[in-house]
Amino acid sequence: MTSPARTLALFISDLHLQESHPRTAEAFFRFLAEHASHARALYLLGDIFEYWAGDDDLATPFHQRVIDALRDVSAAGVSVYWMAGNRDFLVGQDFADAAGLTLLADPHVATIGKQTVALVHGDAQCTDDLNYMAFRAQVREPAWQQQFLAMPLAQRKGIIAGLREGSRQAHGEKSYEIMDVTPDAIAALHAATGADVIIHGHTHRPALHQDPDSGRRRYVLPDWELDTEPVRGGWIAIDAQGNITRHDLHGQPL
Amino acid sequence: MTTVLMTTNKGNIKIELDDAKAPKTVANFVDYVNKGHFSNTIFHRVIKDFMIQGGGFTPEMSQKPAGTTVENEAKNGLKNDKYTLAMARTMDPHSASAQFFINTKNNDFLNYPGQDGWGYAVFGKVVEGQDVVDQINNVKTSRSGMHSDVPADAVIIEKAEVVQ
Repeated sequence: MTSPARTLALFISDLHLQESHPRTAEAFFRFLAEHASHARALYLLGDIFEYWAGDDDLATPFHQRVIDALRDVSAAGVSVYWMAGNRDFLVGQDFADAAGLTLLADPHVATIGKQTVALVHGDAQCTDDLNYMAFRAQVREPAWQQQFLAMPLAQRKGIIAGLREGSRQAHGEKSYEIMDVTPDAIAALHAATGADVIIHGHTHRPALHQDPDSGRRRYVLPDWELDTEPVRGGWIAIDAQGNITRHDLHGQPL
Repeated sequence: MTTVLMTTNKGNIKIELDDAKAPKTVANFVDYVNKGHFSNTIFHRVIKDFMIQGGGFTPEMSQKPAGTTVENEAKNGLKNDKYTLAMARTMDPHSASAQFFINTKNNDFLNYPGQDGWGYAVFGKVVEGQDVVDQINNVKTSRSGMHSDVPADAVIIEKAEVVQ
């Protein structure tokens, strides 16, 4: 028996942190202090912020609270990793330096506890949402980002507010199916990475999908929302033995 | 309040057991003590500034059989603070048998409900020989077969006995 052991890795995503949702932010800070500080690694798999206009926005009090909390975790000796989501893909190296974390590409393949795991945010696998895929192709272009970031911060925030409103409206019109990952995209991801295990977020449909024939597994993270009822949230853990478990907001295994 | 004295090759460690807060765990542990189970076992897993774990293996790294298990009593209010004694176990919350560990840091994340909804049951604390625990905390460790974090020079529990 090798228990007790520090958790090897914890995974969260889709917190959509914003000042208007204080309970969600509090839950995030509690998670960092009570759980993440004791793990060997913390993986933040996208949409941690509801939006991010650029690293020149680092200095707002709310953002500083988040940065300080993350830095405390990395100062405790935890390796903290950050992947872009579809909302906060403009997070850059200045943020990473301030928070003491490492930026990851999407997809990222990690070997954790002898498991090879493919990590993605999940938006790039929603290939039936053609409008979104076109949008994503545009905004992930370095040239587009450079041009966007050259605009004044206030102007960027205005554009983002417009985009968020447009997204809210579009969500009402999109079918349930196209807002999920497609089997083809998942198969392609397994093939491209050589990983039998995928962990992702984005869809807000927490689950473990297991293929009975191939044994391949796809773990989906929940989003976090504590400022309305019922509350949502939770995380995924990989322990020292390589077991992958899903947990609710209280840490109870699902 | 039962007190156990562990005589090790690094010095003596005296442990006060909390019969009131962890009656089953203490009874189980004392049973192993009285059967002489801990004689000639080692601290086989030492992770610096986390915990030192022992009571399961001989100096030759052969596992001593420990058939009796005990219910998880972690929800007793006792914390995995530095120098407290707790039961080691597998993922199965009620699998603790003989292996124990001494916390060498305040390990809050091991307290009920812990990372798995159960936590690790604390049932005693080191009242004398904390310096010996500190010494063991600092020993050099390496791999031994499939075990990692094994002290390079064996830290041996020569015997454990109930004293009063």
